[in-house]
Amino acid sequence: MATEPQIYPSKRFRFEIKDNLWKWIFLLPAVAIILILLAVPVVWTLYAAFTDLHLYRIGDFETEFVGLANFEKLMSNRSFWRTARNTVVFMLGVVPAQLIIGLTVALALNNITRGQKLFRTWFLMPLMVSPVVVSFIVGRMLFQEDIGPINDILRNLGFEGVPWLTSPTWAMVALMAIDVWQWSSFMILMLLAALQGVPPDLHEAARVDGANQLQSFWRITVPLIMPITMTALLIRIIDAFKVVEIIMVLTGGGPGQATESVTLAIYRTGVKGGDLAFGSSQAYFLLIVLMIFGGAYLVLTRRAMGKD
Amino acid sequence: MGLNAQKRLRTTISYCILVFWSFILLFPMYWVGITSFKNAIDMSIKATYIPFVDFQPGLHAWRYLFVDRLTWFLDPFMNSVIVAFVSSTIALVIGSSAGYALARFDYGGRNNSIVLGFMSQRMFPGALFILAFLVMFRELGLLDTRLSLIIVYSSGAIPFIVWVMRDFFEGLPVEIEESAMIDGANRLGVLFRIAMPLAAPGLVAVFVLSLIGAWNEYLVALTLTFREAITIPLFMTMQVSQTGYTEWWNMSAISLVSVIPVVAAGMALEKYITGGLTFGALKG
Repeated sequence: MATEPQIYPSKRFRFEIKDNLWKWIFLLPAVAIILILLAVPVVWTLYAAFTDLHLYRIGDFETEFVGLANFEKLMSNRSFWRTARNTVVFMLGVVPAQLIIGLTVALALNNITRGQKLFRTWFLMPLMVSPVVVSFIVGRMLFQEDIGPINDILRNLGFEGVPWLTSPTWAMVALMAIDVWQWSSFMILMLLAALQGVPPDLHEAARVDGANQLQSFWRITVPLIMPITMTALLIRIIDAFKVVEIIMVLTGGGPGQATESVTLAIYRTGVKGGDLAFGSSQAYFLLIVLMIFGGAYLVLTRRAMGKD
Repeated sequence: MGLNAQKRLRTTISYCILVFWSFILLFPMYWVGITSFKNAIDMSIKATYIPFVDFQPGLHAWRYLFVDRLTWFLDPFMNSVIVAFVSSTIALVIGSSAGYALARFDYGGRNNSIVLGFMSQRMFPGALFILAFLVMFRELGLLDTRLSLIIVYSSGAIPFIVWVMRDFFEGLPVEIEESAMIDGANRLGVLFRIAMPLAAPGLVAVFVLSLIGAWNEYLVALTLTFREAITIPLFMTMQVSQTGYTEWWNMSAISLVSVIPVVAAGMALEKYITGGLTFGALKG
């Protein structure tokens, strides 16, 4: 650079040699840790998926390669497909709900000036609360069938009490409600950031040109907040596919297998059951689905937005 | 309808929506709060909503927690504190140094790819890691130790810290650092004496976010620990599976003790946390 000081050429040269060292000292620890704790599990799990590795047999028996046997077992495993279906149903339930709530509340927040910071701060709260507390303590108390407050309020309003945790359908609804309670805030804050990036004079210009508010919203606001919305949706979709903790502690996957997610199935097979090989093949199945889905989503949304 | 009346109507509807959603968020927390002051009788006949009206609040759950059974609860609490603080500190030092390096040095034009490589970790499902971690830490003899959780949690937080802090350092003026170096400071001094203090808001945000992440984590803790090194979330779920009967008032008191510190920290640092959360997500 021309603006760099040229007063101490020799000294500068010395710095650059030292800098070449610092450059690596600063970066390498992070790279090493991530390589060991990311690459090793990823490669090891891939290896395990092609073997008959079992937790309780490590060291006692020779581990054998079994080729694609685990994946064949996976394809014909009804119980696994049931959990895959549950996971997709969960995702399709929570993500649209979070989008609608997120957009509604973000628009309301963007509309006001007094108290905006207060509401924004309060909306951060659910994101800080542990899923175990939300699901295990709060969820189980609120959804109690006999004397839980939700059924109590429903009965006082003249409805029947809902069998929250004993009916397969309602147990899923309860889990969705918990996820929506906790994660709508993420959508709200992301969409608020997007809305605040829309220049207000664009709306003013549209109004002068005779556009009504609805037109102004659809033609100006929606296209401008679209990129952030798409990113936020992708993050939520991937997180919903990985759901496990709230299910573990609220329903344990039950009643029966009605709310068991893919990740819970992997935990049950691999950690509880010790069948590392089959669990690994399930984990890789989930990873491949996520990668294909994420890649397709990015390509499609970029193409769609390019056309606009 | 005039423009002013329309605007007023819109503002009123906005406040109604905001108050409604705030109430939805508040109710479960309110319920945990009042339950921690309830007696068994208040939870066995019908739902009770308002202290002093529906039921007579008592301090017995809090006394049970802090007086009768303090040691029983103190171990997992200290595990959580140690694991969360140590792992976040390690992640902060290592992650922000790497973020600084990626902002200031050139790695053969591959800086963006390196950052993306870090972030790819977020795509991988946790399920992929727990099986490998279980075997890895079993072989190392580290099952049921705080060290295993510290290792996993710091490595989990590093990519996010690298990502956010790299952009943060890039936003800082490079001239101050240059003039300090001309005055004889070395890079380490520049990083810790000049860049880090200037980046304090970003550092606070990512530190608190990784603290909260480690504090609330459940799946890995469930896989790797079972008695000595259990953290609060695991401790809570174990209480019920052992007895089969839930003392909701005690559980509520424990929940509050575990939730209030992180929620308070998050809300006090709202500006930075929201920035870290949305910024971290948006830059992708």
